[in-house]
Amino acid sequence: MDVDLRIVVIDKNPLRAAVLRDGLREAGHCEVIHIDDTSDILARVNALTPDVIIIDLESPSRDVLEQMFEVSRTMDRPIAMFVDNSDTSMINAAIDAGVSAYIVDGLRKERVKPILDITIRRFNAFTKLKDELESTKLQLEDRKAIDRAKAIVMKAKSIPEEQAYAMMRKTAMNENKKIADVARSIIMAAELLR
Amino acid sequence: MTKTLRIGYIPLVDSALLHVARAYDFAAAEGLDLDLVRETSWANIRDKLGVGIFDAAHMLAPSAMAVCLGLGYIEIPLVAPVALGLDGNAITLSRPLYAEVMSIAEGDPADPYVTAQALAKIVAKRRADSAAPLTFAHVFPFSTHHYQLRLWFSAGGLESKTDVNLIVVPPPFMVESLRSGVIDGFCVGAPWNGLAVEAGVGYIVHRGRDIVRNCPEKLLAFRADAASADPDSVKALSRAIRAAADWASDKNHIEDLAYLLSQDAGLHVPIELLCAILDPEREPKVKTATIRLDRAATFANPAHADWLYAQMRAAGQVADGQDAKARSVYRPDLAGDAHFEPAETLKLEVFGRIKN
Repeated sequence: MDVDLRIVVIDKNPLRAAVLRDGLREAGHCEVIHIDDTSDILARVNALTPDVIIIDLESPSRDVLEQMFEVSRTMDRPIAMFVDNSDTSMINAAIDAGVSAYIVDGLRKERVKPILDITIRRFNAFTKLKDELESTKLQLEDRKAIDRAKAIVMKAKSIPEEQAYAMMRKTAMNENKKIADVARSIIMAAELLR
Repeated sequence: MTKTLRIGYIPLVDSALLHVARAYDFAAAEGLDLDLVRETSWANIRDKLGVGIFDAAHMLAPSAMAVCLGLGYIEIPLVAPVALGLDGNAITLSRPLYAEVMSIAEGDPADPYVTAQALAKIVAKRRADSAAPLTFAHVFPFSTHHYQLRLWFSAGGLESKTDVNLIVVPPPFMVESLRSGVIDGFCVGAPWNGLAVEAGVGYIVHRGRDIVRNCPEKLLAFRADAASADPDSVKALSRAIRAAADWASDKNHIEDLAYLLSQDAGLHVPIELLCAILDPEREPKVKTATIRLDRAATFANPAHADWLYAQMRAAGQVADGQDAKARSVYRPDLAGDAHFEPAETLKLEVFGRIKN
């Protein structure tokens, strides 16, 4: 590799930014700087003079970067969005993964592609991990709600646990709802009537 | 059979007709199920429409034209059968700059020429004092907000590229940037000006319509290839938007519409402020921008393309001789039986002079 590229990562999720930085460092890119998405992003990006900017699609500051291709007194170096007419699948993959990239004008696209490849892979891996964590968390919350609702029904109707659970399950089946949703309705009603 | 259309939007008052079409079943009546997806940037809107994640989008009219012209992005033909409203922007100044403009304005400060001349004096004084130039923000390089600011500056003989700093700031950061002094003023759509005023950080110097009346704003944009593959859905959604416009322009529905915007569109703004924006006849507590969401305002007027193209030219964003391509976005014919020539006058007026 010739001169190392300076890569700025704009991501409000510091965990994901760290995962991406590790990936880029493994590939030999040592100059990876994470900055938070704030109102003075333009000045900060200008001061860092990056070659490549990676930004998560949730960031409103994408529109700030969009002005960089217009040469103006506020921009030191013209920056372009990483788009390649010959390879639209790359753009699709990036957008699907929830990330976008901007490069300094004149930088060869071949030098940037491996960086974007790593970014897409890391973003996708992070999303998968997050989804799994969330689903585990949701299951736990469902469990808690069901237990609380069961206790309410047992107390209100003076019935044993299995019977309370059976009632809730029957209601869920009749109403075509998840038992956790029925449980939440019971908790809400109990709080209203308390 | 119901067809689902996924449509991207930015949480702004002029996303209203999409929300009305969905919530009040105007889309359902046309056999459409609208999946409205909130977005955080105009760049996302463009990209996701471009790759087909969205079937249609609430899009800045000049941004749609820029995509057709291949400016800053891959060239993708887009078409808009209907517009989603007119007007709604305003220019807000920081409290100190507003006070300075008002103190030296010679004439009626409601006249943009008067305030722009005052602004030019302030710019000249700062230059003489070697002070930093004033910084103004808009929302996207290809936006009417950008062009309205440029027009206002030009009324004072100011050149945007050399006399002031012109930058993009995302609307959610506007109020904070004005408060912290990063910017001295901005042009943005509703409800953000009203919010800055309510937060006590600035005053509205001009409504967008004081500079450009009946100003084009957002279009309902489709990819041209998708629109020609499924022209019936384009027509059906256009009819639903027209029906939504009739509903939204009924004075009896203003509070329902304000409520819908605060709930479905995620505009966490006082209902009273939304009502003031939606109803120009209401006496608002604070001066605010008003917006047109009536049926006539949904006409995708090809004359708007010519005016916007001229603004893009003036801003140095596009080369000469591409007017036809720029115009190709505006396709009122694709609205099919919803197509009509607006009966009432819908003339675009720049500083009171009729342009089309």
